[in-house]
Amino acid sequence: MANYFNTLPLREQLNQLGIAEFMNSSEFADGVEALKGKKIVIVGAGAQGLNQGLNLRDSGLDVSYALRKEAIEQKRDSWKNATDNNFKVGTYDELIPTADLVINLTPDKQHTSVVNAVMPLMKQGATLSYSHGFNIVEEGMQVRKDLTVIMVAPKCPGSEVRAEYLRGFGVPTLIAVHPENDPQGKGWAEAKAYCVGTGGHRAGVLKSSFVAEVKSDLMGEQTILCGLLQTGSILSFDKMLEKGIDAGYASKLVQYGVEVITEALKHGGVTGMMDRLSNPAKVKAFELSEELKDIMRPLFQKHQDDIMSGEFSKTMMEDWANGDANLLKWRAETGETAFEKTPAGDVKIAEQEYFDNYVLMVAFVRAGVELAFETMVEAGIKPESAYYESLHETPLIANTIARKKLFEMNRVISDTAEYGCYLFDQACKPLLANFMTKIDTDVVGKSFNAGKDNGVDNIKLVQINDVLRNHPVEVVGRELRKAMTAMKAIKTI
Amino acid sequence: MLEPFVHINKLTIRYGSKKVLDNLSWSINKGENYLLGGESGSGKTTLAQAIVSEEIVEQTIRINYVQHSLLPSKAIYISNWYQFTNLEGDRNFYYQQRYNKHQGQDTLTVQAELEHYGHKENLDLTDIEQRIKDFGFESTRATQLIELSSGEHKKLQLIKGLWAKPQLLIIDEPYTGLDKQSRITLNNWLDDLVQEGVQLILISNDQQLPRAINRFAHIVNGQLEQVDSWDQLTKNAPREKMRLPDFLLAAPPTPYKVVAKLQNIHIRYGDKEVLRDVSWEVKVGEKWLLQGPNGSGKSTLLSLINGDHPQSYGLDIYLFDQKRGTGESIWDIKEKIGIISPEMHWYFDQNATVWHTIASGFYDSIGWFVDVKFEEKKKIDELLAFFGLTDLKDQRLQTLPLGKQRLALLARTIVKNPPLLVLDEPCQGLDAEQTKYFNDVVDELAQYGKTLIYVGHYESLLPSCIEHRIVLEKGQVHTVTYHIEKETY
Repeated sequence: MANYFNTLPLREQLNQLGIAEFMNSSEFADGVEALKGKKIVIVGAGAQGLNQGLNLRDSGLDVSYALRKEAIEQKRDSWKNATDNNFKVGTYDELIPTADLVINLTPDKQHTSVVNAVMPLMKQGATLSYSHGFNIVEEGMQVRKDLTVIMVAPKCPGSEVRAEYLRGFGVPTLIAVHPENDPQGKGWAEAKAYCVGTGGHRAGVLKSSFVAEVKSDLMGEQTILCGLLQTGSILSFDKMLEKGIDAGYASKLVQYGVEVITEALKHGGVTGMMDRLSNPAKVKAFELSEELKDIMRPLFQKHQDDIMSGEFSKTMMEDWANGDANLLKWRAETGETAFEKTPAGDVKIAEQEYFDNYVLMVAFVRAGVELAFETMVEAGIKPESAYYESLHETPLIANTIARKKLFEMNRVISDTAEYGCYLFDQACKPLLANFMTKIDTDVVGKSFNAGKDNGVDNIKLVQINDVLRNHPVEVVGRELRKAMTAMKAIKTI
Repeated sequence: MLEPFVHINKLTIRYGSKKVLDNLSWSINKGENYLLGGESGSGKTTLAQAIVSEEIVEQTIRINYVQHSLLPSKAIYISNWYQFTNLEGDRNFYYQQRYNKHQGQDTLTVQAELEHYGHKENLDLTDIEQRIKDFGFESTRATQLIELSSGEHKKLQLIKGLWAKPQLLIIDEPYTGLDKQSRITLNNWLDDLVQEGVQLILISNDQQLPRAINRFAHIVNGQLEQVDSWDQLTKNAPREKMRLPDFLLAAPPTPYKVVAKLQNIHIRYGDKEVLRDVSWEVKVGEKWLLQGPNGSGKSTLLSLINGDHPQSYGLDIYLFDQKRGTGESIWDIKEKIGIISPEMHWYFDQNATVWHTIASGFYDSIGWFVDVKFEEKKKIDELLAFFGLTDLKDQRLQTLPLGKQRLALLARTIVKNPPLLVLDEPCQGLDAEQTKYFNDVVDELAQYGKTLIYVGHYESLLPSCIEHRIVLEKGQVHTVTYHIEKETY
């Protein structure tokens, strides 16, 4: 199978990369009508599969689960998930031929084998749905020409998809139709109906393409979302230990700090996050992040280039073929870092203290978000897509670090994200070695404001605020966040 | 002269610009066990939290613990609110989560929670094995915290506090959500503890108290006043009955005959059967009382009617004359139902303002709403006035006393004038006057084409429109009584 993106002429590459339109809620006026009475069969009953299915059924749709024979015979968790909730469960052979819509919610890595097994069983003119475009775009899966291929990708973990639906809300969602597979022209109508069925239409929907989704998703997860949070966390922890900060305190500051800091990002963008600092600390964070942006820009560009050319997916698929040798080795190494092995201390850290004593992480986050966004947009991805895959998702990933540190983050994200994260981390640490020698505990571990008067230069502050507020990620972010104002704070104690 | 056991000297606590406690002084001598009663919002909870707080300066509050006692020298406060987290330290729950089963554990089990607590407080679990059984709590030990009903959470809180046998035990609203038998068991247990040297402060307006209660006090204008008996405690003044807003006086359309029909329903979680062979029919216009001990399956039964239970599909359930799982969405169902329950209150977005809380009732959402239309805004305003909440409309729920929060949620329940009212212990947290007021409202509402399902433990605190009763016990229908006489329930 050839990389789909690379088979396209440049004109079409640019065209598909540039699809990004924030949809008006009036576009969802037909509700779930396009899928009403149709047979929906979901393949995979993990967190996304189960929770999306529960939502679709609660929206009045006919949902059942197709599982592999072994999963049913051995009563695996996926089988229990589906049957405990009174869903109809059957093998591929039993259910796929009846389906009007087959929703593939298995892990990325299984897509080729799942789609190859499912496709011959699907009835003429049915629809196949993905929640990630890797299989189509990078692996070049060719789907039967009579089938419609759509994508509906909620931008949150499965448990949140369910929780927000039952609260009468939803999570931001990205939808797409594969231009090579829309023979009846029904793709968008079905994608929209599916999106309504999961509640996504209440939280903002981005009309995208398979290509734009994959190229931006890969970039975001490798750089700011997972890669930089990992690098920044480990470097910060090691620095504090080197400078004699209590290990328990350092561990707690790093584990929860990134969540508290990015919570401000979620509500008010980079501006909102920076505004949590005192004026002198904001100036410091700005200067540090400018320096970080200069140092890391070539690395961000390399990641984007490798994603665009297909080099990244080629290398990763070679590792898949090699039994995940590199992935497993790097995963083990992450489990062995000092940060991972030091439990968070039993100390109370007030919410504001996470900002005041961790200015370095604020700088990392600003640099990472802006760089990822800028690099994506330079590569032809639209600002709306770039926003979702950089700023929007950062707090969600930070939340997994707060739960159980980096090993947990890497366990929860996809293997694709994890692989890219390690690639980034390994290149980034040496790049920052020199920068880190100049870092002291005033920006990581102790309050930056201690012993200082609060004075700053007026003109300098005005200029900094101006740069922060007018960055394109802030401009597009303000618009998109309006649609998500009811987003709940994820509470951690 | 002997030093008093608890000595509070000129305690002042402000909340915002308001003095909640104003130079309050209070001496509690050895052997005095108090009932702290009085109006909601008078500062009882604030005072209790101050007594156990470690941050109050020594001159203001002093507790003279008995030095050579077998009981730990500490004060424990059992709150009227329960908190727990999932295994990842997160509290982002939603009220229907109990029913959304998936493989894997979200929260600790009751047993693990007890072991954890015992370890922390250095207590021996064997000491309370019998108490747990007496309290009817034995069967929940393998249950996850997220799966407990509000009554069961209350019991868990009480068990933990009483198990620790502190020298001073303060319980805020000890009886909220407890069934009749559990209430008696609790009072006996408290009396036993007093025998062993525990001193009690109960915050409550209830009359069925442990025998050991021998002092009564309330807070008036931020100061403590002792009174001679329960009768002299200040009560919330009876509210003048206001005219129900006009929009509630119209009977909603009911183009169906049967509101809910359930036949031979079984609900299982793994090996555990929480409803067994339950059948029940509720016709349009009927007024039902649903009763049963804590953990008997009441909430689960209601969740089937309210569209909240995923196992509803594939069962023999008809709602509003339509078989469940034939193309209706849960939003179609919820549109016809006004619901309130202790669980919904607990999981409700505490950052929502009173106004937003009521507005969300139009959309059956938890604190979320889209553009509220002019007509709807008018209805919200009328209900704010009706429940005396107009001045509080921009306050966040979490800043209000529980009783006021409850009134806001009750307003949310009826704001869309739904044909079916499901009121699961609607008056928890309200005192007798407020309860009577609300039940009178229910009685009046009921005249206008409403079907009612009401859950309440105490006979004296029910609306008088109730006609029929169904009682659950251990997941089964124990009795169904049609046309009950008022005196018999």
